Amino acid sequence: MSEHQIRLTTRDGQSLNFACADGEDLISAAARADIHLPALCKGGGCGACHATCTGGDFHLGETSRDALSDDARQHGGVLLCRTYADSDLEITTPYDHGHISFRPIPQRTGTVAGLEHIGGQTVRLVVQLDDDPELGTGAEFDPGQFVELTVPESGLTRAYSLANTANWSGTLVFLIRLHPTGQFSRWLKDTANVGSRLQVRGPQGAFVLQDNGTRPRAFVAGGTGIAPMLAMLTRMAEFGEGNRCRLVFGVTRASDLFALDMIDTLRADLPALSVDIRLWESDGSQSAGTPVDGLQHWLTEALNSDIYLCGPPAMIEAGERAARDAGVPATRIFSERFLPT
Amino acid sequence: MFCYQCEQTYRSEAGAGCAASKGLCGKDATTSDLQDLLIHAVKGIAQYAWRARQLGAPVTATERFIPNAMFTTLTNVNFTPARFVALIAEAAALRDAARAAYERAAQQAGQAIEAQSGPAAFAPAADMDGLLKQAATVGILAGQDTAGADVIGLRNLILYGLKGVCAYAYHAQVMGYDDASIYGGIEKALDFLAGEPTDVPRLLEEALALGQVNFKTMEVLDAANTGSFGTPEPTSVRVTPIAGKAILVSGHEFKDLLNILELTQDTGINVYTHGEMLPGLAYPKLKAYPHLAGNYGGAWQDQQKDFASFPGPIVMTSNCLIEPQPGYRQRIFTLGPVGWPGVRHLDGKDYSAVVQAAKALPGFKEDAPEQRITIGFARNTVLGVADKVIEGVKSGAIRHFFLIGGCDGALPGRNYYTDFAEQAPDDTVILTLGCGKYRFNKGEFGAIGGIPRLLDLGQCSDSYSAIVIASELAKAFNCGVNDLPLSLVISWFEQKAAAVLLTLLSLGVRNIRLGPTLPAFLTPNLINVLVGTFGIQTISTPEADIAASLKKAA
Repeated sequence: MSEHQIRLTTRDGQSLNFACADGEDLISAAARADIHLPALCKGGGCGACHATCTGGDFHLGETSRDALSDDARQHGGVLLCRTYADSDLEITTPYDHGHISFRPIPQRTGTVAGLEHIGGQTVRLVVQLDDDPELGTGAEFDPGQFVELTVPESGLTRAYSLANTANWSGTLVFLIRLHPTGQFSRWLKDTANVGSRLQVRGPQGAFVLQDNGTRPRAFVAGGTGIAPMLAMLTRMAEFGEGNRCRLVFGVTRASDLFALDMIDTLRADLPALSVDIRLWESDGSQSAGTPVDGLQHWLTEALNSDIYLCGPPAMIEAGERAARDAGVPATRIFSERFLPT
Repeated sequence: MFCYQCEQTYRSEAGAGCAASKGLCGKDATTSDLQDLLIHAVKGIAQYAWRARQLGAPVTATERFIPNAMFTTLTNVNFTPARFVALIAEAAALRDAARAAYERAAQQAGQAIEAQSGPAAFAPAADMDGLLKQAATVGILAGQDTAGADVIGLRNLILYGLKGVCAYAYHAQVMGYDDASIYGGIEKALDFLAGEPTDVPRLLEEALALGQVNFKTMEVLDAANTGSFGTPEPTSVRVTPIAGKAILVSGHEFKDLLNILELTQDTGINVYTHGEMLPGLAYPKLKAYPHLAGNYGGAWQDQQKDFASFPGPIVMTSNCLIEPQPGYRQRIFTLGPVGWPGVRHLDGKDYSAVVQAAKALPGFKEDAPEQRITIGFARNTVLGVADKVIEGVKSGAIRHFFLIGGCDGALPGRNYYTDFAEQAPDDTVILTLGCGKYRFNKGEFGAIGGIPRLLDLGQCSDSYSAIVIASELAKAFNCGVNDLPLSLVISWFEQKAAAVLLTLLSLGVRNIRLGPTLPAFLTPNLINVLVGTFGIQTISTPEADIAASLKKAA
């Protein structure tokens, strides 16, 4: 079996090299070298391992068009979990060296400490981590990251973004929309209660708050895509960051709204924050339109913003297109798609 | 960006200096440019503050601001653009206050008000793009086309020396110690630079005058340390961890160490020093705390490895900070002038988050095999046995002293200092200060007539202690410092070392060996001046340099 040399260049210009065997995907090959690249579904479905191949020959396995669009593919875009080297490769990543882990992803356990409906078919799940002999009791993660939650009895696993910030009490907060046919939703509705046990794998992901000096920031969320945005905004408030910022939060109808109290708290803590709530089916209580409409409006005021997008794939693509069309460089657009569950 | 203030700056055949999107220290172009602009703004404050001071009306607010602002621009201190934007705005407001104070004082003295131009007229732009455009006109090479490289090199020698002076002044201020002559010296030198001086002899004169200001500053800092924590005494300190929850305190600020020790008393949390905090373990008031467990790790450039393996929170009280890695980014805290984007900065000396983190993190599970070193040989201890030292020299038991002082760094050329210490003959005594000693301070060096062959004087600012010891020995031998059987072998990295070098030169100390490379801001002409006037030499090989030192002294 032949091996190919993979040279990976991160957004901040640092290089990593690892070997990849024939028939081995790049995420697995990197992990074999103790390089744990951001990834999630490892099945070509989520786009979390998106990167660009700038040199060499490769073939791609099956990928979801939502995770890797035809347009991205034509420009060298790859999903590393579905990329198989046919020669030595040059890969560039959309994240910095600092977002690559060189240790295995932590595996912990925890207990449901809170589960409440907060409107719009959404629950607020609070998990209290157990004391870990290696990691202690704290919850260390970057705002914007996610963890995988597993129900021990069934092995059912889903990934959710954290809505709170790192803390030493070991508390994880999630905002989860209950889907009528979703298995994890059903577990939350029918079985889970305070005291239920969960396995927690993480933190993971490179969709995190970027250090951008004093540039403005736009956080554009569809539905529970607001969770990582709340984490990032809370961190800005904790650190006293004064960047001008706009939170655009879109749902279908007024009855789907949730987390308004958390948004109000952030508004009070972050004087530079403005909020634009969008309803697709407006009843006049909020602005009409999609989150992307809100983004376009913001870009007329603050084109030099960093843009954070989190929501369904269609919203991400529309948001990225709108930002690009307005002239925002690709290096200032950060996104995370919802996984189909 | 263009920056060549530290020893590790990018060097190529085309010249030296970090000029890409990021410096080798990790400082990005925006931060670097904003630092240049902040220095420009600070010069503007000094133009008025110095004149007000000369009229007997010092501006207290600027006395606090200038050392802190200058310290933030030192290598490996602050990498946060937002902090610099805020400091630039604050500088402009303070400049206005200084101008008002000057004008009032001039009126009261019946003097005509001298209008100031250049940095004194600076008005910060409203947004980042505007600030960066302003920064582009005040970079550290500004004016080189007309003034020439030698003049720019000398201006930057003064500027970098000033950063070191300001850092030491800041450390003293933290403990409530200062001296009006220090503020006056800083303002005078900044005002001098604001005038874009071009006269080389005048620039050299000002550089040496600044060396004297730094001597005073180190003296005040010495008084601050000994006044606050007692006189350092020889102390055997543990350099391996013990079981239990743990906090690591790095940087230079002993006051923060004391505050953390007080806060964690009787909590079961052990406190460790790191890097330049090691000498803290020899101060009576600090070592009295039983949970000050020892020192952990090596010099600053090893911190990414040391911090990642430390199972508790890390507190960075001053330089040198390098990019925090994901493995410990959530549990490292910055204080005072230090900052890194995305790292929690503690304002107002509230360390409760550190204690919370220490309780939550696992700590050391078991004791590591015990290892100890002895430190704490500052001026009082060495001079306390001066009679033995003098007798040793007179009898020939002590042939020579080597002061191996200064900063450590990552470049391979620094192995020279390890080899130098190891190859120094058994009848020589090695004095250390700064973090360069980590390369060899766990070795066995033995003793001469009861005097250990390796004597650590402390932090880099304890160069003051070395100078006092050398001066006292010179008095005892009835000779000059340059006539003592003493060789100075200095490793430099950042701007505190530039200030110490200016102090040594201003005191007439000759034949210093400097390495691993000479500062990039010194042109060949300036190096010739330093070689001709002060006998400065670059390091060669340990064998040759030891032999030359011993031959010269013989």
